[in-house]
Amino acid sequence: MSPAARALGLPALALVLVAVVLGVQLAQDGGDFEPARTADPCAPREVTSQSDGIEGLTERLVLLGIDGAACRLDVSREELTLEIGQGAEPTDAEVDALREGLHAAVQRLDDDGDLPPISDLTDEALDNADLNRFLEAAIRALPDRVVDGALKTDDVLDRAIDDLDLRRLLNDLDDADELNQQVAASVEQAVKDALLDRLRNLI
Amino acid sequence: MRRAVAPLLAVTVALVLADSAVVTLALPDILLHLDATVTEVAWVLIAYNLVLGVVAVPTAMGLVKVPPRLFSAVGIAAFAGASAWCAFADSIEVLIIARCLQALGGAFALVGCLELLVAAYGERRGVSTWVMAGVVGTAAGPFAGGLLTDLISWQAIFVVQVPFAVLAVPAALAIWTARPLAGDRHRPDLRANLTLALLSAALTAALFLLVLLLVEGWRHSPATAAITVSVVPAAALLANPLARLLRPTHAAEVGAGCLLVAGGLVGLAIPPSSDLAWTIAPQALVGLGLGLTVDQLTYRAMELRLPRAKHAAWTIGSRHLGIVAGLLVLTPVFTADLLDAQEPAQEAITALVIDAPLPADDKIALARSLGQELQGERGRVPDLSPAFDRVEVAPEDRPALGDLEAALDEQLERAATRAFRDSFLIGAGIALLALLTVLVPRRRQDRRPA
Repeated sequence: MSPAARALGLPALALVLVAVVLGVQLAQDGGDFEPARTADPCAPREVTSQSDGIEGLTERLVLLGIDGAACRLDVSREELTLEIGQGAEPTDAEVDALREGLHAAVQRLDDDGDLPPISDLTDEALDNADLNRFLEAAIRALPDRVVDGALKTDDVLDRAIDDLDLRRLLNDLDDADELNQQVAASVEQAVKDALLDRLRNLI
Repeated sequence: MRRAVAPLLAVTVALVLADSAVVTLALPDILLHLDATVTEVAWVLIAYNLVLGVVAVPTAMGLVKVPPRLFSAVGIAAFAGASAWCAFADSIEVLIIARCLQALGGAFALVGCLELLVAAYGERRGVSTWVMAGVVGTAAGPFAGGLLTDLISWQAIFVVQVPFAVLAVPAALAIWTARPLAGDRHRPDLRANLTLALLSAALTAALFLLVLLLVEGWRHSPATAAITVSVVPAAALLANPLARLLRPTHAAEVGAGCLLVAGGLVGLAIPPSSDLAWTIAPQALVGLGLGLTVDQLTYRAMELRLPRAKHAAWTIGSRHLGIVAGLLVLTPVFTADLLDAQEPAQEAITALVIDAPLPADDKIALARSLGQELQGERGRVPDLSPAFDRVEVAPEDRPALGDLEAALDEQLERAATRAFRDSFLIGAGIALLALLTVLVPRRRQDRRPA
């Protein structure tokens, strides 16, 4: 074996082996095996819910609302969720951003035609509302088209969002039952109040 | 019995050098069992290598005053006693002290066994057996330790060493040989020892960090990790046949070895997924590199230099202080990176939970359960399965919950892999530094000892 082959043979073989191994790994996206990056909260995102009715609508509103709030606060949705989920006292900016985000979420669902007619929510709201039996029967007797003509879902939801005690809600995040109760109660109350207003006007 | 004497001494050399990394896969178990911190448990490794590295040369200087057979027998007995003490240690402090004594006994055993193996086999074969036993021990240590930890317990690592060492004591006493001559006839080979130290520091990334990634980051059992890292010793054994085939010069062999170690570590830094298969080829490169370099550099550092034991001790000192340097450089980097990885991992997990196709109540319950699990960890990669076990969902939602658990585990694996990347790359950089020491031309008078 020549001196050149003895001096260069093994290093050349080593270089080829290293190039092949690293080449195959890079071709298979080696180096990109990292935690998923968070999405831009300002970019439109499709949200879905496994639940129906008021609970499903609430979940979609909250998901879009957190996106909107995160966009306003210039943080990621996940960062904001972790921040408020870890028990820290929410700041005024966070509460305001969340409320604005929820209003924007209502607008977005309305623009997309994804808000259900209010008549889809009234039965559920009335089931959980502690109303006079005669009044409840009167509201239930109203035809859906009358209810839908009289009330707009986005108005009702905006009213519910304004009525929500967001600071208390964020402090109760650890208690799922309390959280659901507060959100559902607020939406139901808004539906009920709007219906009663309209009924009074009709009478 | 006479035939078993020299092999027993070779096994002792392998055991002493295997102990340098043998507890790597047992560290998570030791951490839990002795209620230690990550830093304390790292000292189980560091203390052994530090003591072995520091005392090797002074120990070899003492060899001229005591017959090698007595020297070895005392060292092996101390090593065996300290190993037994390690197995029964009931606190991390006791374990670290026992490891220091183990290393002290190991240093006596290593330099003494070299003289005894030369007496038994002759100069060339004796030195060759001593060097190869060391390479095999170093490479196979994590494999053996992982299997024992998984099959029995971490204490078993130390218990199984005792009978071998006890048998080696009479074996050492059975070989009569003269004391080596006093006085330094030759200076240490600085270049070979420096290259050895740098390569050992780089190999720390493969022998120490890889097993941590497999066990702590990717959540494999120590046995699975042990079988996986057995690629390194297997590939190291292939290095000699390869070198015989190509008959490279010394510089070419060591240079190629450094290149292979560096390339292998870069490969370990950028796996396309957490599939164990992606570690095989990079480990094979590291193993080949280890096989081509460590024995060559050890031979070169000892070749025609007297006193033999002292120059052997210089190689032990270089290797083990190199390992300590590697641990001291790499441990803070990867622990800091592991902490830095928490935020992106938490955000990725949060995103997956928010978007999971599960009822909102189940998501909130799961988020709370995950939060509890993450708080219970002490800077380690969390095991999320208990959090999922605590959450009860409707039967129709169980497949979605299972998919979510798999997705979250993958995010943790991604975060852990990312956290180890910089350390592997630093290891690769150190291997390239070792390559530089080979590439710098030798001065004419440095080529052989006077």
